[in-house]
Amino acid sequence: MTQTLTAKDSKSTAKAVSRPKSGGHNAERLAYLFVLPALALVVVFRIIPLIWGLGYSFTDYDGMSAPRFVGLDNYIGIAHDPVFLDSLVNMLILLATLPIWIGLPLVLAILIHQGVPGGKLFRAVYFFPAVLSSVIVGAIFNVLLRYDGSFNLFLKAMGFSAVDWLGNSSTALFSLIAVQLWATFGMSLLIFIAGLSTVSAEMLEAAKLDGAKLLQTWWYIVIPSIRPIIEFAAVVTTIGMLTSMFGLIYVLTAGGPGTSTILPEFLIWLEQGKMNRPGYASAISMVLFLMMAGLAAIQIRIMSRNADI
Amino acid sequence: MAAVQTREKRILWILSIPMALLALSAVYPVYFTINAALKTRKGYVLDRFGLTTDPTFVNFSQAWNQSRLSEYFTNSVVVTVGAVIALLVVASMAGFALAILRFRGRKIIFITILVSLMIPVQVVLVPFYRTMIGLNLIDSRPGLIIAYTAFFLPFSVYLMTAFYARLPRELFEAAQIDGANLLRVWWHIMLPMGKPALVTLGILNTLYCWNDVLISLLVLQDQRTLMVGIAALRGEYTTNVPLLAAGICLAAAPIVLIYVIFQRQIVNGIAVGAVKG
Repeated sequence: MTQTLTAKDSKSTAKAVSRPKSGGHNAERLAYLFVLPALALVVVFRIIPLIWGLGYSFTDYDGMSAPRFVGLDNYIGIAHDPVFLDSLVNMLILLATLPIWIGLPLVLAILIHQGVPGGKLFRAVYFFPAVLSSVIVGAIFNVLLRYDGSFNLFLKAMGFSAVDWLGNSSTALFSLIAVQLWATFGMSLLIFIAGLSTVSAEMLEAAKLDGAKLLQTWWYIVIPSIRPIIEFAAVVTTIGMLTSMFGLIYVLTAGGPGTSTILPEFLIWLEQGKMNRPGYASAISMVLFLMMAGLAAIQIRIMSRNADI
Repeated sequence: MAAVQTREKRILWILSIPMALLALSAVYPVYFTINAALKTRKGYVLDRFGLTTDPTFVNFSQAWNQSRLSEYFTNSVVVTVGAVIALLVVASMAGFALAILRFRGRKIIFITILVSLMIPVQVVLVPFYRTMIGLNLIDSRPGLIIAYTAFFLPFSVYLMTAFYARLPRELFEAAQIDGANLLRVWWHIMLPMGKPALVTLGILNTLYCWNDVLISLLVLQDQRTLMVGIAALRGEYTTNVPLLAAGICLAAAPIVLIYVIFQRQIVNGIAVGAVKG
C-alpha cells in the first residue's frame, strides 16, 4: 500500500510528514477535519455542559421561569442539606476503605506472581465479575443478601445469626461497599500483575540469597519497585468510588434505607429526576467536579514525577 | 537454599486454600443464578439453594417474550454496535491526526480531549440532559449512540494516539501525506496498522456500552436497553426470583462469551492502560 502511494509521485516525499512545515495549507486544514468529530463530541456534550452547569449553580433556575442570579445560595443550601451531608459522610466512609481496595488485590497479585498453585485460574476467576454490569451484580446480590438469602444461610450454618444486610441502615452501606469491592478488585489485580512482571527476577534472587524472608522481600523490594503502579491504581480506584457506584446503588439499595447508601453521584441523579431545581443539582455536580479535578491533579503529579525517574 | 525453596513452596500451597475459597465466592453467585433460572417458581420457593433436579426453560421464554427482554436486547445490540463503530472511527481519525500530522493547536486539542476525562456524566447530568433535548436526541437510539461516543471517547483517542505515535516513522515518510490523499492514507494504512489497538478498544468499549445504565436511563425514556430492563425487572419481580435470574443470564451471556473468547485482549488492554497510565 505504501508503495502504490509513493509510485504516484516521487517528488511527494518532500512533503512527507517528518517535515512538519512542508505539509501545506491543504493538509493542515484537512488534519483539523480528522480531529473535528472527536473534539466536537467532547466540547458539545461535556465541556459546554460543564460551563453551563457552573452557570446554573449560581441561579435559582426552576426549569420554567427565567433564571435569576443568586450567588452562592445553592452552595449554602447544599451545605445545610442533611441528605447531601449524609451522602458526603457515606462517601468518606467509602474512601476510608481504600487501603482494603489496594491491599487485597496487591497481596493476591504478589501471590499469583510468585507462582501460587492454580494462579492462572485464580486470576481469570477473580477478574470475571469485573466484566459484568453493576446491574447484573446488584440484581444477583440483592437476592443473595436478603434476609432469607444464601449469605445468611451460610452464616447460620457457621453458627452466626442472620442479618438483614440491605434492609438495615447500619449494614447497608458496608454491604454496598463489599459487593462493589468483590465485583471490581480483579481490575486492580490485573494492573498489579502487569506491574509485577516488570520487577527484575535477579533482584528477588539476590534478596533470597541474602537470606531475606518472604515478607521482607515483599515489603522492601517488590512493593517499592511497583510503587508508581500502586499509586496509579489508588487514583483509579478513588475515581471509581466517586463515579462508578451509580449502577450498583440503583439496583442493590436504591440509596436506602433512608439515606444510608446515597452517594453524591446518586443524589445528583435524584435531584435531576425532580426536574424543578437544576441549579441545586448543578451545585452538587460542581462539588463532585472539584473532587474529580483534585484527583486528576494528583494523577498528573504522580505521572510527571514517575516520568522524571 | 533448597530448604528455603521448599519452605516457600509450602507457604504458597497453604495460602492457595484461602485463595480458592475466595474464588469459590466468585463462582457461587454464577451457580446460584443459573440454578435458580432453571427452577419453576414453585420449585424455587420449596428449595431455593439445592441443585435443580428438573430443569425448565420456561423462565427464559417468559423473560424473553412477556418481559420484553427480546426488544431490550435488540436495542442494546443496535446501540452497542453503533457506538463501538463510531468510537473506533472517530478515535482512529483523531489518533492519526494527533500522532502523525502536524498542525497548529494539536497539543491543545489533545489536552482538551484528555481533560474531559474529569467530566463524567454525573458532573454534567442536568445540562447534558438539556443539551440532548435541545438537539432532539432524547429517547432515540442514535441519541444514545452519540452520547456513548462522547463519554467513552477520551481513553480511545488517547490509546490510538499513543499507538500510532509508536509506529516507525518510515511508514509514513514513504507515503505522500498531503490534502488530496489524507483520507486514503487513513483508510489504507492507519486503520490496518492500528488493528491491535482497535481490537482492544473494540472489546473494552463493547463492555462499557453494553453494561451502562446511567446514560441509558437518562437518554432513553419509552425504549430501554437491556441493563435498564434488568433493573426494572428487579423492581417488578422481587418475589419471582427464577424469572429475574433467567433475565440476568440472558443479559450477561454476550459479555461472558466475549470474556471467554477475548480474555487475553481484555487483560492486555487493562495492563496497557495501567503501564501507559
